[in-house]
Amino acid sequence: MTEKVKLTIDGTEVQADPGSMIIQAAMDNGMYIPYLCYYPGMKPFGACRMCVVKAEAPTPDGSYRPLPGSPASCTTPVSEGMKVETNTDELVSLRKGIMELLISEHPHGCLNCHRIDLCGPTDVCLRHVTVNDRCVTCPKNERCELKDTVRYMEMELTTPLTYNNRHLPLDVKDPYWDMDMNLCIVCSRCVRACDEVRVDRAITLKDRSGRSIIGTSRGTSLLESGCEFCGACIDVCPTGAIVERDYKWDKAVESVTTTCPHCPVGCQLNLDVNKRGKIIRSIPDREADANHGMACFKGKFGIDFVNSRKRINTPMIRKDGVLEPATWPEALDYTAKKLVNYRDGEYAMIASDRGTNEDNFMAQKFTRQVMNSQNVDISSNTKPQLLSPLKEMVGAYAATSQTWDLLESKCILVVSSNITEDQNVLSVPIKQAVSKGSKLIVIDQRETELTRYADLWIRPKLNSEPALIGGFIRTIVDESLEDHSFAIDQCDDYAELRNSLWAFDLIKVAEVTGVPEASIRDAARLFAEAESSSTLYALDTVSHDLRIDCVKSLINLSLITGQIEKESSGIYPLFEGANEQGSKDVGCAPFHGPGYEPDNLSGIGLLGIAEAITLGRVKAVHIIEDSPNFDKNETGNFYSTLAQSEFVVAHSTFENKITNRANVVFPSKTFAEKSGTYTSLEKRVQKVSPAIGTSGEADDEWRILSQIANRMGFQDFQYSNDSDVFKEICVAVPFYRSLGRDRLEKPGNTWEVENDRKYKFSPVTLNSDIDMLEDENFPLIFAPGRVLQEPTRDPEVDIVNEMHTITRTEIIEMNSADAEALEILNGDNVKVVGENFELVGTAHLNGLHSGMVASTSLFGSLIEEVSKNAADDPMRKIDTLEIRRVRIEKI
Amino acid sequence: MVLANYEEIKTKADEHWNSLNNSKIPFIRIGSAMCGHASGAFRVEKTLKSILTEKNIRANVYQVGCIGLCYAEPIIDIKKAGKPRLFFRNVSPENIGDIIESYVINDALPPHNVLGYLGDEGPIGNAPSIEDIPGISLQNRIALRNAGHTAPSDILQYIANDGYKGLHKALRSMEPSDVIEEIKDSGLRGRGGAAFPTGIKWSFLVGSPGPTKYILCNCEEGDPGAYNDKGILESDPHTLIEGLTIAGYATGASNGIVFIRHGHDGPIDRTEKAIEQAYEVGILGKNIFGTGFDFDVEVALTGESYVAGEETALMEAIEGNRSMPRFRPPFPAAFGVWGKPSNINNVKSLSYAPEIISRGAAWFSSIGVNRSTGTAIVCLSGNVNKPGLYEVPMGMTLGTVIDDLGGGVSGGRNLKLLQTGGPLGGVLGPDSKDIHIDFDEMREAGAIFGSGGIIVGSDEVCAVDLTRVLVAFCQFESCGKCFPCRLGMEHLLEIVERIASFDSELGDMDLMKSIGGTMEAGSLCGHGQLGFGPIRSAITHFEEDFRSHIESKVCPTGSCNRQKIVPKNTRPYATDFDPGD
Repeated sequence: MTEKVKLTIDGTEVQADPGSMIIQAAMDNGMYIPYLCYYPGMKPFGACRMCVVKAEAPTPDGSYRPLPGSPASCTTPVSEGMKVETNTDELVSLRKGIMELLISEHPHGCLNCHRIDLCGPTDVCLRHVTVNDRCVTCPKNERCELKDTVRYMEMELTTPLTYNNRHLPLDVKDPYWDMDMNLCIVCSRCVRACDEVRVDRAITLKDRSGRSIIGTSRGTSLLESGCEFCGACIDVCPTGAIVERDYKWDKAVESVTTTCPHCPVGCQLNLDVNKRGKIIRSIPDREADANHGMACFKGKFGIDFVNSRKRINTPMIRKDGVLEPATWPEALDYTAKKLVNYRDGEYAMIASDRGTNEDNFMAQKFTRQVMNSQNVDISSNTKPQLLSPLKEMVGAYAATSQTWDLLESKCILVVSSNITEDQNVLSVPIKQAVSKGSKLIVIDQRETELTRYADLWIRPKLNSEPALIGGFIRTIVDESLEDHSFAIDQCDDYAELRNSLWAFDLIKVAEVTGVPEASIRDAARLFAEAESSSTLYALDTVSHDLRIDCVKSLINLSLITGQIEKESSGIYPLFEGANEQGSKDVGCAPFHGPGYEPDNLSGIGLLGIAEAITLGRVKAVHIIEDSPNFDKNETGNFYSTLAQSEFVVAHSTFENKITNRANVVFPSKTFAEKSGTYTSLEKRVQKVSPAIGTSGEADDEWRILSQIANRMGFQDFQYSNDSDVFKEICVAVPFYRSLGRDRLEKPGNTWEVENDRKYKFSPVTLNSDIDMLEDENFPLIFAPGRVLQEPTRDPEVDIVNEMHTITRTEIIEMNSADAEALEILNGDNVKVVGENFELVGTAHLNGLHSGMVASTSLFGSLIEEVSKNAADDPMRKIDTLEIRRVRIEKI
Repeated sequence: MVLANYEEIKTKADEHWNSLNNSKIPFIRIGSAMCGHASGAFRVEKTLKSILTEKNIRANVYQVGCIGLCYAEPIIDIKKAGKPRLFFRNVSPENIGDIIESYVINDALPPHNVLGYLGDEGPIGNAPSIEDIPGISLQNRIALRNAGHTAPSDILQYIANDGYKGLHKALRSMEPSDVIEEIKDSGLRGRGGAAFPTGIKWSFLVGSPGPTKYILCNCEEGDPGAYNDKGILESDPHTLIEGLTIAGYATGASNGIVFIRHGHDGPIDRTEKAIEQAYEVGILGKNIFGTGFDFDVEVALTGESYVAGEETALMEAIEGNRSMPRFRPPFPAAFGVWGKPSNINNVKSLSYAPEIISRGAAWFSSIGVNRSTGTAIVCLSGNVNKPGLYEVPMGMTLGTVIDDLGGGVSGGRNLKLLQTGGPLGGVLGPDSKDIHIDFDEMREAGAIFGSGGIIVGSDEVCAVDLTRVLVAFCQFESCGKCFPCRLGMEHLLEIVERIASFDSELGDMDLMKSIGGTMEAGSLCGHGQLGFGPIRSAITHFEEDFRSHIESKVCPTGSCNRQKIVPKNTRPYATDFDPGD
């Protein structure tokens, strides 16, 4: 802990961190200096000049030397013994002078009116102020920082300055956000948030002098400006210039902090609730350790589903093929009576990855104790291999470091992951690190947002990743870049690993992967030589049977270079379910119980369930919530298979393909109504708190399940609230014990496993015979990419139905030899055809591997699609960048 | 042709210079700095070359800079072996043929266009000596010593005229600290406007941690009526490169960046060429003169923005960002361009360094008066008979500058005002002829010497009209970052326009003062802090002009009418403003 600096602000002695700015010191000590452009957590800017102070610094001879002029407190660092005055007459009048200038171009009809508290939006103005100049008609009225500042400063009603309204047209043609630049005060907070925090640079300051204003960097639409629709600009805007479109005018009566249900980063969101009990806004919590005030398009704009009127509000029982409303006792009794017939292995439970730890603990307890089955899993667990080697090799089934450790990581290796879309906020520390000079290596067939930031983008042949990583390790050993003492002292089986490397001859690896030897060496050197290196992997494009080898290789890579215990280094498996980590921690998995003990169970998991139903081994299925994975091939043809089972219990918030088949349906709470905990991918256990009242008779999963259990004669299921369940989790899961329910008030803590055993290498063999998914009809592999912007291409956005629409023709990348065989020339129009898939574009022949086709679309297209999607929860089922088998047709 | 040592280069250069001056074929120099360019020097050059080809005459033709007499441009001088240089004034494509015919071919003085001769070889015919022209005789050229004499495109001509001697001396026989002491002793003050002692400024960088440190040279020079930085770079870029390298050596910097405003094509081209040549002969790069000192220099450009001349905005511009000033601290010496320690100097300040080092601090400080040592490079323009680029000793009175150098106010009118130091500087009244060019004296008088521009206004000029143009400039050039400047300038312009179109009331004067006060105290950088300066000094000296516009709705000179004539695009949110662009 560094020593604090002591200084005096307005006669009060306060302490501040060295190097911090006066304004922050004042704020931390509960003192207010007016400000508009400063924003905690962002670099100071010094534009609004509202936070001017008078300051004196002591000189060595004991006297005080005044700092020249009236320095802005947001840009003046504290120093020992400094004396700061924040409210002298001179400063007050200077501030008023600046504010007077400022409001001369901001609609200020109400700003300096004494009736400001009395008027509502529909009241007739006694002063004949036009509607556009009134605060009461501004969407930001109650939350306007400018207004608060003006009122704090007690401004005069009249001003001799001419009022210049900009009369700019509103910019409301992009999805989700509205921009009214007549309200902008040009504080540049949004530009800085976009630039220095999100590293997107989608919006910028345009023009200069009195005309400087905010706009997109390419002058057209956000859809192609590089915007990731994270809403960071909205969150920092002090006025109503940039606001969320939905519920724009709605007023919040309360705000509840909870955890986002969209991905495992575990962003803390403050959900604004209006007086009708609707969630009207989602504002990421600036103080949260998990997300540092960040959110993404899903967390910011994908929360509205909880307000849907299409919710299932009562239990339902299928009678004569039709679902009919029932009372809770009826439905519970019915279910209990039916389930008795399917005990032992005939029952399977698929819990939701959005279920809280309490829900999913109960799901596994119910399955194991009541149904005497091990067939329990969560619906997002399509890639169990991501975590499975971790326990043996590094000691815990989880990431070894935390999200924001990535900020200081000097080399980041991202393998086959679409972080920008799947774990968005995780990309923020990565992009910030890269902008500070860290190296980024991306291994992916697809062009994703991170490939644009990458120092090295390696595009190996499909499924050759394990060979490629093996090539890295081989290079490291060949060039003696390994951390020898770490590998020998801290790890087992180092000799075995070294012995396995003889197969990874670089010439052979280059041939298998299609990656030049030089790139393999470069990547290996970057990773091994960096002060700290991190590995993130989702292995989206790697096929099932190779994932284990791939994960093992990646861990071997981190171990051999010692990049695991160092500060800001680590391994991050990237799964997709919001509470996947927690679900596994509490044992909601077919192969292990709570706390990963015992870990030799043999239940049927998500991936095996379709087959088990077909074979008649599983007859009753209990499914909590729908999942995007049921649509994917990985789970088999899930919905139609479900029809073959005898009995289906569904917990659901909306009617869907599962409830269509279910014999009994229980109305389920959304995350916004639940009380419980989620565990994020960085092992942070955070609270889920009810923001709104329950819709209809919906209930928590743990309560529904325990009531069924009670009805089936099990007395060990007595809980009055979720805390009771959590207490039981703490008993069953040793590493949750230290958390304790009352310590879960924010910030959430991460669980750690005490581990004194050694790390372990796990050698893999070189698999040169790679399955290229051959198929006669679809001989090629299509790697779809998606990026935020492509500055090399001209803007291609039209206005359709008053909304911006991307109109561009996609470019289809092809191998020249493949193209020649199909008689396709550069620039020809071609069609990519796959199963349920078609894409028309212009052929672009380049050095892509033979047998591969790729095309990169704009993230804006996805946003356009999602924003128009009328599905119940559109952000839940986003079209992921899936590798497909295709053929190319010339048109 | 990397040459191992200075002596070797010098010998080669001297040979080259002698052969140029004493060759049988004439050595023709064409004044082609901005002033020459504007008056048609390039057309003259083209015609000259075609005539030479046509008549089959061999000649060494070089573009050179400005000897100071901008009013006489295009100037051509012809040096023939054994004869003095003969200068011709106001040459045009029409009369260049006669000049060649009579002097180059027939050795006879042409009847017109002769400006004078220069050199010890004695007079030619009845041509006067150009040293009799006050515009030459009153000058004392240090930074501009080679302007108009050596070709900026030829490093050997510069070296032959003792170029890089100062650098050689510094590297060979002086410690970096000695160099800084020498500069401090010379009393050299920054010529960018603030007049901060250059030696002290350099010393700030010495203590900053290396190895990468930057010396930046600022040639943004966006002031209307200032052209001395451009003049140096166009006439003699090597002087700057030498000065920059000396500064690099003194401060331990590793890199020099010459920042030139995009659009100053002449200075950009010539500086880039000069840097290239300096690398070729080994004066830049690794191990300069075999002393082990490494120094790299490059040219950086950005878009047109006046504020980019502010030192921190300049660093932003070099980094490729929007040129908006940073706040201080951290100061450039600690956190400059790309976060590395940096030191920013004006072109003129650096261009004095070579001569100060080679001739000594005492020599330099003997020139000038009081705390203003050395020379002032004056850009004299406006209502004056002989506008030009004059380097005169500090301490000369403004009267001498206007009447002797400038040949008096044009049209026989009386002097009404002097606008000095750029648009953010100030206005002096008709009684200012006794004021000396001295940083401190001019500041006391309510103006600044600043970057050296002096615009003369005759009694036909309306103070309100002039103020309006200056304010419009300042408003348009505000970067738009800090609120007081962005909004204050907008309102000041509106009020001044209101006054100029007779729509205002007496309260407007106080309103301007109150806005000005807010800008002065609240703005982030000098642009806003000084932005009220032109209005304040105009009001001080010409309150009557303002009162007449406001109270009697009459413009004393009749030059203001009700039309709002403002530079294009200065009006905020004019009707043509399209938010989509």
